Amino acid sequence: MTTFDQQWPIDQARIDRNWRAVTIELDAPRPGRIERFLRAVGLPARITRLMVATPALRRSWYLATGFAVLIGLIGNDATRPRENLLALLIVAPLVPVLGVSMAYGVASDPAHEMAVATPMRGLRLILTRAAVVLGFSTFWLALAAVLSPGNQPMAFAWLLPAFGLTSATVAAMTFVRPRLAAATVGGVWLVGVLLVRAAADDPLAAFTAGGQLLFAVVAAAGLVVATLRRNSFELLELRG
Amino acid sequence: MSAAQVLTFAVAKRFGSNEALRGVDLALQGGLITLLGPNGSGKTTLLRCLATVTRPDSGSILIDGLDPLHESDRIEIRRRVGYQPQDPAMAPSAKVFDVLDYLAVLKGQDDDRARRHLVYHVLDQVGLVDRVGDRVSELSGGMRQRLGVAQAILGSPGLLLLDEPAAGLDPDERFRLREIVAERRHNATVIVSTHLTDEAAIGDTVLVLFDGRLQFVGSPQSLTDSATGRAWIQDGEPVGVRASWRLADGRYRCLGVPPRNADIVAPTLEDGYLLLTPSVVSA
Repeated sequence: MTTFDQQWPIDQARIDRNWRAVTIELDAPRPGRIERFLRAVGLPARITRLMVATPALRRSWYLATGFAVLIGLIGNDATRPRENLLALLIVAPLVPVLGVSMAYGVASDPAHEMAVATPMRGLRLILTRAAVVLGFSTFWLALAAVLSPGNQPMAFAWLLPAFGLTSATVAAMTFVRPRLAAATVGGVWLVGVLLVRAAADDPLAAFTAGGQLLFAVVAAAGLVVATLRRNSFELLELRG
Repeated sequence: MSAAQVLTFAVAKRFGSNEALRGVDLALQGGLITLLGPNGSGKTTLLRCLATVTRPDSGSILIDGLDPLHESDRIEIRRRVGYQPQDPAMAPSAKVFDVLDYLAVLKGQDDDRARRHLVYHVLDQVGLVDRVGDRVSELSGGMRQRLGVAQAILGSPGLLLLDEPAAGLDPDERFRLREIVAERRHNATVIVSTHLTDEAAIGDTVLVLFDGRLQFVGSPQSLTDSATGRAWIQDGEPVGVRASWRLADGRYRCLGVPPRNADIVAPTLEDGYLLLTPSVVSA
């Protein structure tokens, strides 16, 4: 007659392993509110980690999302004069620029040196963060546009300039530090759009089809430059 | 992962007018290597070059035969390297788990559950598993250094680079850190920089770097032996010696060429180190 232990020998190592696995699953700290929200809308955990890793990164996300909501609510109000809309269209593309400049470098990520030493390519990290910020900005803007009574398609006119300026900022970051890159691109944008405003009869001339096409080209060119110079994000002494 | 092979040929690096490295040649594989040198000797620059986060101005580096100047090689090297910078800064408000989880994502650990288990595994190894939910600001200096080591050993790298991990730690924490590091020497090439000779003594090999040049490569014992017959104690204030300092009993310990009838004493590793560096005379 065999005993229970003989028939079903106890594998203590396996029990310990399983018990540890259960403990880890129960014990692991719960993600914060923002991260849980990002996961709830379908972003994988490894991406949400990259988004909320430090307070500065979270701030860039809050800023871009919050401003997109504001633009959506105010910019779509057809009762407001076009000059007001112009002001919003000028400012809106600068938000993701600011967000991207806050999303990379030692100034925003204290663990930057450790992060640079990992196999994750710097350009991929920046573009992932930029894509999520831009994606959420666009989502909130579209939602606000649909919900607001005075639906005004021109309120979407900031999108391509935003892509263009963000792309140009990432490209500039391969030459200078992120904050200087953002300040330079932002400055060129403000001067350019105000010059167009002074020269043209239509306050929104910079945002018509010609302007949109120009920013599509800038977006593509910026990505090409950033890709060609991607090694700049892989070293400490060049950017920070 | 097996111990990585590290080869450097005439590696030089300059920051403005400061020559941080002046032609460093190395051939290392396996064991614990301590990189000893005073502040500003080029230790951090050399470790950064090996971690591929800084590019040498001239010379070349090969890690497991891979050249960091080539993009695909560099990415592969980074998969094999664990690096703790001199100041392993982390967001103070971040939780211990979140810091490691973030860096594990950057190291390519995409599977959520496997990554969670890996983070717990390394926290267990450095004795921080009970602090998994604490914020970085709640950790002591020693615990933060151990957290820095934890992120470096994520994924069991074949080359572990630790830049002054024991700086500012009390003896208990230093001892604990030594134990953690010593465990890795059997299956990795571990390079630990320090400016403390007692820390350097734990290495299988000691590298002495001064003014951007490698002054010594060998075992701690051979560095000690290099001072044999060149350390003595005398009563009067020494003149023209390589290095000297006053002992508790008021006499002087001196290094250099001893005078006739000098009271020669057994050398220490510190004696060997000081004889390699420019003259030091202190009261």
